[in-house]
Amino acid sequence: MWTTKTFLTKTKRGNILKIVREHYLRDDLLCGSSACNSCPHKDDEYVLDLKPVSICALFEYPHYIILDTNVVLHQIDVLEEDALTNVIILQTVLEEVKHQNTSIYQRLLEIVNSKKRKFYCFVNEHHKDTYVERKPGEKQSDRNDRAIRLAASWYAAHLSSNKLEHQFPQIVLITDDQNNRQLAQEDGIVCCTVQDYIENVNGFAGLVDKLSKNVMPESCSKDALYPAHLTPAQIHTGVKNGQYHSGTFHASRDNFLEGTASVHGFEKAILLQGHIGINRAVDGDQVAVEILPEAEWRRPSDIVLEDKADDPGDKLDEEAELLKTVKPVDNKDGEITPTGKVVGIIKRKWRQYCGILMPSKIPGATRHLFTPAEKRIPRVRIETRQSEILASQKILVALDSWPRNSRYPLGHFVRALGQIGDKSAENEVILLEHDVPHARFSEAVLACLPPNDWTIPDEEIKKRVDLRSLCICSVDPPGCTDIDDALHARPLEGTTDDGLETFEVGVHIADVTYFVRPDTALDKEAACRSTTVYLVDRRIDMVPDLLSSNLCSLRGNEERLAFSCVWEIDENANVLSKKFHKSVIKSAAAMTYEEAQITIDTKSRRDEIAQSLRILNKLAKKLKRKRMDNGALSLSSPEISVAEKLAEEFPQCALLRRHPAPPPANFTTFLKAAKQQVAPSPSPSPSPSPSPWGNG
Amino acid sequence: MPAADLLSSQGLRLDGRRANELRRIRCKLGVFTQPDGSAYLEQGNTKVLAAVYGPHQASKSKSSSDGVVVNCQYSMATFSTGERKNRPRGDRKSQEISLHLRQALTAAIKTELYPRSQIDIYVEVLQADGGTFCAGVNAATLALIDAGIPLRAYVCACSASMAWGARPQPLVDVPHVEEAAGGVVLTVASLPNTGSTALLEMSHKLHMDYFKMVFSSAVQGCRDIEVILDRAVRDHLAEGWTEQDTVTV
Amino acid sequence: MMAGNVSIRLASERVNPSVYSGAVLPRFYTPGEVISGMKDYMRGHGTYAEDDCLKASVAGVMQKVNKLICIRPLKNRYVGEIGDVVVGRVLEVQQRRWKIDTNSRLDSVLQLSSVNLPGGELRRRSVEDEQMMRQLLQEGDLISAEVQNVFSDGSLSLHTRSLKYGKLKQGILLKVFPSLIKRRKNHFHNLPCGISVIIGNNGYIWISPNVQDVTVQEQKDEIANSDLQPVNQTDRETMARIRNCIAALVTSKMMLDDTSITYAYEESLKYESVKSLLDPEAMLDVAFLTQHRIKEMTQE
Repeated sequence: MWTTKTFLTKTKRGNILKIVREHYLRDDLLCGSSACNSCPHKDDEYVLDLKPVSICALFEYPHYIILDTNVVLHQIDVLEEDALTNVIILQTVLEEVKHQNTSIYQRLLEIVNSKKRKFYCFVNEHHKDTYVERKPGEKQSDRNDRAIRLAASWYAAHLSSNKLEHQFPQIVLITDDQNNRQLAQEDGIVCCTVQDYIENVNGFAGLVDKLSKNVMPESCSKDALYPAHLTPAQIHTGVKNGQYHSGTFHASRDNFLEGTASVHGFEKAILLQGHIGINRAVDGDQVAVEILPEAEWRRPSDIVLEDKADDPGDKLDEEAELLKTVKPVDNKDGEITPTGKVVGIIKRKWRQYCGILMPSKIPGATRHLFTPAEKRIPRVRIETRQSEILASQKILVALDSWPRNSRYPLGHFVRALGQIGDKSAENEVILLEHDVPHARFSEAVLACLPPNDWTIPDEEIKKRVDLRSLCICSVDPPGCTDIDDALHARPLEGTTDDGLETFEVGVHIADVTYFVRPDTALDKEAACRSTTVYLVDRRIDMVPDLLSSNLCSLRGNEERLAFSCVWEIDENANVLSKKFHKSVIKSAAAMTYEEAQITIDTKSRRDEIAQSLRILNKLAKKLKRKRMDNGALSLSSPEISVAEKLAEEFPQCALLRRHPAPPPANFTTFLKAAKQQVAPSPSPSPSPSPSPWGNG
Repeated sequence: MPAADLLSSQGLRLDGRRANELRRIRCKLGVFTQPDGSAYLEQGNTKVLAAVYGPHQASKSKSSSDGVVVNCQYSMATFSTGERKNRPRGDRKSQEISLHLRQALTAAIKTELYPRSQIDIYVEVLQADGGTFCAGVNAATLALIDAGIPLRAYVCACSASMAWGARPQPLVDVPHVEEAAGGVVLTVASLPNTGSTALLEMSHKLHMDYFKMVFSSAVQGCRDIEVILDRAVRDHLAEGWTEQDTVTV
Repeated sequence: MMAGNVSIRLASERVNPSVYSGAVLPRFYTPGEVISGMKDYMRGHGTYAEDDCLKASVAGVMQKVNKLICIRPLKNRYVGEIGDVVVGRVLEVQQRRWKIDTNSRLDSVLQLSSVNLPGGELRRRSVEDEQMMRQLLQEGDLISAEVQNVFSDGSLSLHTRSLKYGKLKQGILLKVFPSLIKRRKNHFHNLPCGISVIIGNNGYIWISPNVQDVTVQEQKDEIANSDLQPVNQTDRETMARIRNCIAALVTSKMMLDDTSITYAYEESLKYESVKSLLDPEAMLDVAFLTQHRIKEMTQE
């Protein structure tokens, strides 16, 4: 069933540690192609079509596509379009992508998991015929390229060996690596670049727009506007010996030619000014900064500076004017800040940005500027042929690179969000800009859900305390669908030693843990969303609807799983005892506040619900008074026993509410503003004057 | 504690095995001439030697008239892990494993046969790549059989962990990479032939709902190991068999 | 001078020492395996009863004597029988007895009353004799003896009340698995090459220079003298050769008796240096040729 050949993979780490790992090579891995009759596929294991329809004019015969790592990393937006199908993703590629960029990896997985895309993951690293051992002295990336080429030739040979009567699918390797392409051609593998392939695709308009303009940013030294970035090795040694400092770059919201980098060891953030000082850093990037001599230290400019409305082309200009405004420096100024310049980028933190297209004034041009909604982000140059349609839309753009000879970073169009001013489009922008996960729940998450007609199984009821006979009710605002807690109260027979009446009070919260098991896809998704987001007109659920407004909603007259906390309380609202357990409940009524109040007030009602509500009301009043007596802030409610229990059972992860005093620094901006209001300072206050540099 | 991505979407583990597959096991009986019984066992990259001395006269202090006294010593060679480390015999971890070894092996040995005697079992780990205890138990079983010591049945040990993918799935025979990923590791020593369990040990908390799944996977691992050990014993018998042995009176 | 010539082999280059090839293998049993239902049989060594079944507790071949079923493992500790010749080592001197290691699972006992005292006459053991015990045999001494009795717990009581038994002085001790010793009437052999061997039933084999007929040498002085005499070079080499031959036979799991040892010795003579007999190929060669000769002999 499985070959037991052992290959040893050795890696060295830190203080020279030899790690030897087993690597099993198998002979039972499938190729996933319907055109194959030698692999022992089951019917549902065919992913790739028998006769894939070619959409590319370059290759007019049926073929499967194999992608190189660099293609996946840079062209994920192209792959996400429904254009390319019958693609083979090699494990080598999958792992390299995972290693280099987890978010692209996640997006790739989404594509692979989507059935209609027909992306097949081939585990070439564990296949006995496609495993490649690293040669001595060979670079890891070269080995991976070799593995990809071997897998491609294997596929070609494998499919042709089936001796099918009709034409069997060929293999096309898409790679942007020229060296790899050349070696592949020598091996007889058909290959081409992404650009060649995509530009010859028929029938998918707009696909070309999504091509990432990925150029080596440091290699464009011709007509360079910006100084070159240092290599990672130079940065590493520079940071190590204190010449450079690493920090996160924060662009200024008001002045596009100014930013700061918070660096360890300096009390104040390092001020970075001008195109050269910022040197292509984008808000959020981790950068290496060189501190300028103290003589050149400045105070942050108080002016608002916006990028010109029209496209000035690839040149830098405003520099001199800007610097003029900030030159007057008083060395004894308390606001003086260390200045520096960016010498290299340690890690880009680029995401996709929402904004609007500013179509080029030249008709028919394909190069346009894009203005992001976030002011800290510079404008982006993108290429698109659909500028007329997009001009009136909110669009999403991804950054690709920022070569030295380009004034603006290069990016590509990802998708349109909707008309400018349209409510749903603007909503989308808000959600995207605040990184709120709002996509539909993935297949993997939905797979964790119980069936729609789920009922509580008998064995689960046996495991729990059965409280279905109790009269439990919930009180929520009108129209509430996710009823997460419910209450009950009833008088108890006995009295305390002091002759006080006693009551049983229970709080029941929906037992979500039954449905959301730890570490499942559902759990991870919920953890990632962490809360239900309420917009004005819609709600973004933390867990799928079936749970939040059905199975985990304690609706009236339906049996639900709950976690119960039951107290014994005397009539003065002193807690006598408490119990915690999982339970099954059946809420007698889901009421609105109004209904509940009416029920309490209607003296004629003497049913169980009314009585239990009255008890609760009475106790609540007592508790509230007590709390007030104690000075409001101390939490002497029964809730505290829940907190105590949590702290006792889960000391590592109990999160109890605590409000630390805000640091005084949080108020500096406010104080500054207040000061200016009270006694206007001699310096001109920053005001949105019509001309951005009118204060000179 | 989450064990991230121990099982790929193609159902393969980090080393290319499927969830229910053991690592490659190679073993040999009778590797030494000096002890009464000895064995060498490889479970993937975990390699152990076991030697058995006895049964011989028990020292007076330990001697028991009820049955044989089983003595175990587990130790790890200085070069057994990635980092060279001088391990004084009897460090706490080794002592604990020695006790566990004794518990597992005593369950199999027919101790009642040899009052006032003693059996010494030495297990030395030459290379550690996870599951050293399991490999130790399996090697010691072979060494006991080599020594001709009567056993109720084979005692085999196997570990199992859990992969929390879309569908939780137990992983059998846990190597070091998976141990280090922080998942739960359940170690089971059992006598698969009789269906009894000699020892259970778990590294982390695990929800009761999943226990059965992990446990049965480890027990199935023990059964698979028994088949492999049995084959090794039979091969050894065939090799060491002399014609005179068949003489029947 | 030590010759710095050490050869270490890779495991893959190991010689398979087996000399039996193509033989039909018997049925093997392994621990826990069911042999048969309980009703028909009695359980012997290496078996146990569970769930109305007779199961094996060791790995080996079945031996059936009428209704008694035993499983014999390839090797185990020595299980003594009355009349067996053993070679043992003194572990402890106790009150009126010695504790002897005979490779059994319990130490054997040699009573003071079961040894011949100096002078040879049979007399009551006096208190002086008790105090002289350590001069007779002390810790670490090797003896040859005969099993006099087997106690209920399996431990052995030995005696040396014959002149052929007693303390062993100059020679080589070789330990092998007891199962490889062929039971014979005589376990004391003077080999034609001028060397005598005692093949103990317990797997301890004593190789020593040939002593002249022991019974002739009555005077204890002379015996004492011969003990101290240096053994000459040729005898020492022959002893070493015998030792290596036995080791070769053991590696190939061949049964040991005077015939096999003599044959092996003769076959080994083509290797001039004794040392070369430690070479695995040479060992296999010797064992193989010996096996061949034994087969020829039994066929005749």
